[in-house]
Amino acid sequence: MVNGYAAASLAEALEIRSNQKVVPYAGGTDLMVENRSGVDYLFLGKIPELRNINEDDEYIRIGAAVTFTQALEDKKVPALMKEALKRIAAPAIRNAGTFGGNLGNGSAKADSVLIEFVSDARLRLASRDKERIVDVDKFYLGRKKLDLAADELIVEILLPRTGLDRYSYEKVGGRNALAISRVSFAGIFDERDGRITKLAAAFGAVADTVLRYKDLEETMLGKTLDEARELKEKYLEGYAERMVLTQGRVSAEYRKKVCMNLLGDFLAKFGI
Amino acid sequence: MSEIRFRLNGSEVSYAGSGADRLLEVLRNTYRCTSVKCGCKEGECGACSVLIDGVLINSCCVAMGAIEGSEVVTMEGFRETRRFEVLDKAFGELSAVQCGFCIPGMVLAAEALLSKNPHPTVDEIRQGLSGNLCRCTGYNAIVNAVELAAKEGEGLW
Repeated sequence: MVNGYAAASLAEALEIRSNQKVVPYAGGTDLMVENRSGVDYLFLGKIPELRNINEDDEYIRIGAAVTFTQALEDKKVPALMKEALKRIAAPAIRNAGTFGGNLGNGSAKADSVLIEFVSDARLRLASRDKERIVDVDKFYLGRKKLDLAADELIVEILLPRTGLDRYSYEKVGGRNALAISRVSFAGIFDERDGRITKLAAAFGAVADTVLRYKDLEETMLGKTLDEARELKEKYLEGYAERMVLTQGRVSAEYRKKVCMNLLGDFLAKFGI
Repeated sequence: MSEIRFRLNGSEVSYAGSGADRLLEVLRNTYRCTSVKCGCKEGECGACSVLIDGVLINSCCVAMGAIEGSEVVTMEGFRETRRFEVLDKAFGELSAVQCGFCIPGMVLAAEALLSKNPHPTVDEIRQGLSGNLCRCTGYNAIVNAVELAAKEGEGLW
């Protein structure tokens, strides 16, 4: 094929990736809008190993070429992820768009990536000779900068199986369908014996990468709801100080206000 | 393997151009499937929707190399079916077509929806068509037409 390589298996794709300068192509919904000239695509959409959703003791394992529609129809995929997926674009885009593509495009607006950040997902990356597992927040080095070597492919997303049931998800866009996130928010709460064991908050589409401040989250861990309510003002101040947002289609001030409101709503929802 | 082989509206074809070429343009320029409209080239409008292996996809967002071995159906192929006749009649009866530019994509979106869900609610119809923009009708007539087609075409989907 001119300007393209087809691979029937992951091993074959990794072999091509190690020898040729190629752009990995899964669903095409971002790449074809970009329409770079003179590139050679490595077509991954039909590789069986990348199209599966499996689970083990710890993780739901979503193949990089799994489409959003496929994930929405799979019982193993957690409700929080589905909340985000069902608001991505429209059916024809969800039929083509993939988890690997959403990650590989490197945008902080990627709605599935926000959920991967808030749920401490990990990514399995492979090259011909080795593979490694990386935390999703370490994978993003900056705007459109990824910790992915020229001979590596994203193979699967490892999403924790438990602890994702109590959540908030909000997407603020310009319209109901076909909307790009202007601000997106996901939060996960958990408690045991009356003490907070998880209070994760992630913000999408407002900076170069998804934002999450684990050190601020830690100030709430182990606290009772009463104690957390007392700490709330200081906790929110911490976010207000740290969040330096970029100007996009809407102003940075508007985005920050929306982020703080959504964070406040999330705390209130779980009694803080 | 140098050529890209796929099925187009039931016929085996092979394409000798670049794997990076846009399916939308190849369908229109090489295979003269001019029912496939170019509205935005950004996956925003749905005018170029086709069925690939039975699934609704915006052909502007597909590179030719991705359809090797696939079955592509455009309105030129779909119009030969009984399901098309039912949708055609319903769209006509309810005046759901004005300028017509969005209609090939809209009808294929309706086909994709009804294939998965033969008895959709109005909300489900709106969701199913949510990626197909129409600047003339205001959508209500189109939604009603799909609802009517689902009733009239009972058993076809």
